[in-house]
Amino acid sequence: MNAFFLKLAALFYLAGSLSYLAYVVFMSEKAVSAGRFSLLFGFGVHLVGFLMRYFEAGYTPITNLFESLSFFSLAVVGVFLVVERRYRLKVLGAFVSPIAFILILFTAFLPSEIQTIPPALQSYWLPIHATLLFVGDAIFAVAFAAGIIYLIQERQLKRKKLGPLMRRLPPLDVLDEINHRCLTFGFPLLTVGIITGAIWAEYAWGSYWSWDPKETWSLITWLLYAALLHGRLTVGWRGRKAAILAIVGFGAVLFTFLGVNLLLPGLHSYASFGR
Amino acid sequence: MSKKSSESFFEKVWKFFASLRLAIPVLIILAVASIFGTIIEQNKPLEHYRRFYSESTIKILSKLGLFDMYHSWWFLLLLVLFAINLTCCTVDRLPNVFKVVRNPKRTLDEGMERSLSLVHRWRKKGKVEELREKFASALSQAFAKPVETYNSDVLHLYAERGAFSRFGVYITHVSILIVLVGAIIGNIWGFKGYVNIVEGDQISRVQTRGSKGIVDLGFAVRCNDFRIEYYPNGTPKEYISDLSVIEGGKEVLRKTIEVNDPLRYKGIWFYQSSYGTAGATNITVDVRKKEDGSLIKRLTLLPNQKVKVEGVGTISAVDFDPNLQGFGPALRVRVEGESGQPLSFWIFKNFPDFDKRRGQPFYLVFSGIDEIYYTGLQVAKDPGVNIVWVGCVFMVLGILVAFFGSHRRVWLKLVPQEGGRVEVVLAGAANRNRLAFEKTFQRLKEELSKV
Repeated sequence: MNAFFLKLAALFYLAGSLSYLAYVVFMSEKAVSAGRFSLLFGFGVHLVGFLMRYFEAGYTPITNLFESLSFFSLAVVGVFLVVERRYRLKVLGAFVSPIAFILILFTAFLPSEIQTIPPALQSYWLPIHATLLFVGDAIFAVAFAAGIIYLIQERQLKRKKLGPLMRRLPPLDVLDEINHRCLTFGFPLLTVGIITGAIWAEYAWGSYWSWDPKETWSLITWLLYAALLHGRLTVGWRGRKAAILAIVGFGAVLFTFLGVNLLLPGLHSYASFGR
Repeated sequence: MSKKSSESFFEKVWKFFASLRLAIPVLIILAVASIFGTIIEQNKPLEHYRRFYSESTIKILSKLGLFDMYHSWWFLLLLVLFAINLTCCTVDRLPNVFKVVRNPKRTLDEGMERSLSLVHRWRKKGKVEELREKFASALSQAFAKPVETYNSDVLHLYAERGAFSRFGVYITHVSILIVLVGAIIGNIWGFKGYVNIVEGDQISRVQTRGSKGIVDLGFAVRCNDFRIEYYPNGTPKEYISDLSVIEGGKEVLRKTIEVNDPLRYKGIWFYQSSYGTAGATNITVDVRKKEDGSLIKRLTLLPNQKVKVEGVGTISAVDFDPNLQGFGPALRVRVEGESGQPLSFWIFKNFPDFDKRRGQPFYLVFSGIDEIYYTGLQVAKDPGVNIVWVGCVFMVLGILVAFFGSHRRVWLKLVPQEGGRVEVVLAGAANRNRLAFEKTFQRLKEELSKV
């Protein structure tokens, strides 16, 4: 049953993506409200699906790739709705809603059955640790989108061509402000997420840090965002540099989440036990 | 002469280590360097690397310490550089922050008035002395209790909030140093090891990783029992070891541990980490009649022991799998009939009717096994871990204070003018989140103009 809600959410996210793209192409305000409502409904339906799965499974459903992708997409939409409300940045939707749609689309290719939860994941640290990190990652996804828009907008301004897209893109300083605010919320969440992971690891495996590829990549992400933070606060990395680092940083986020499991097989084995 | 040049040299070195121009490259180099250890598998035996790399590549990689990268001299050097940078930054800037916090600028001079972006001026009838109390109480109510300073006949009111937030950055930096200290202590005085205990046996020494070799625990740990619980679909639900701590020949502690629920004794932790079979005894197989399922004979077998059953043949148990393809415990039996080919096939504990399909007048049921397991325990002692946690707590607090705190300062200057008037100058500054402070300032402006 929860899978049905997930599919419905995916349709809403698709509708949201198309509406926001229609806004960029036709500059219609109606498209914006269609996009906003699609995402809002999609989020509601998705949340219901998540809660249903929570009660059906009896554990926080963030334990395998299917569930993680689904939750990540939920978090991205949630964070976007908050940011949109605050900054009224319609065009951000054209970049963020496709991210959410692609994430949830991937789940269609994965087994959706509720699986049994391996002993290593039976801990109350699972919901705390995973939720903190995915919300943090979703914030970084929004910063990534703002970074991409920044670079496009800057290019247009440099060419001094008033293209049709440009009028729809927000001013550079607003994009930079979003970049900064995202870092302000994303970085503490990433930090607390890594720390809760360390506490869990200490309690489950007897080692708070073992340079496991997943741990190491989360540290790499943390170091990159720390560099961006210091560049911003002290050397005055604004605008372009900050946008590029937000894009690179999100690359590291994605690699930590997906790349480590998919491209470095056999190294990371949180769920395996006993052989 | 020589003294002066050596001082300036020292200063140069100090400035280099205390600079942010160093901090950003160090952070990025640490990030990029860390990637190698995730691509090249760490701490594997040489044979493992031979499968992926040629001899000459192995030589180069091992020279560069890339097989144990995070403990290699160059990576540790990077961490040391990182720690020195953090220390110098903190020592360099902290005294100044103390000065600003303990002895803030309480008067608004002309230079500041020009440099601050939030300044508002208006005029008011009355005398400074009369207005003093009104403004002071209005400011206390709307923002914070001000400090009053008279500069000849000009009155300065100064109020601030969140001065402490200036320390956030340094709390965070020091917290990272605390974590590093905890890690070093753990590396020097702690150990990590691994031990297998067969059910019924006990151990008092543990083989550790690294240079410490075999460590004597000073007490013994006995594994009374190991068992696996399965979900209905046959996947493992829990691995459970029943452990006893024995000291001076007496059991002093008994605990059942699981994954995510370790045993701790005298600062040494025992974690459920793996398991295996150390052999099997007493396998029970029932031979039943197909017609009515009645028991022909109950066999108690040892592994590979052949037992003859009248009218059936010779039966032996040749293999065991605790969870064959997700169908739970399975036994491979070999039946040598009185005539014909010997047959071997699997029977399942969870599916007692499985063997009926063979279509013989009898069928075999796997009804139990007394398997001897060993439990694999990770053994760890880390006297630095609590220091690491203290560091983590400070890190979170420091980051929250640094990111969400803001040192907001407000000056109110009352300058007596001719004709019984007073010029009021309101100025404000915040070191973080200026947009939010602008709103606060607007509100203050409104509140104070009502005075």
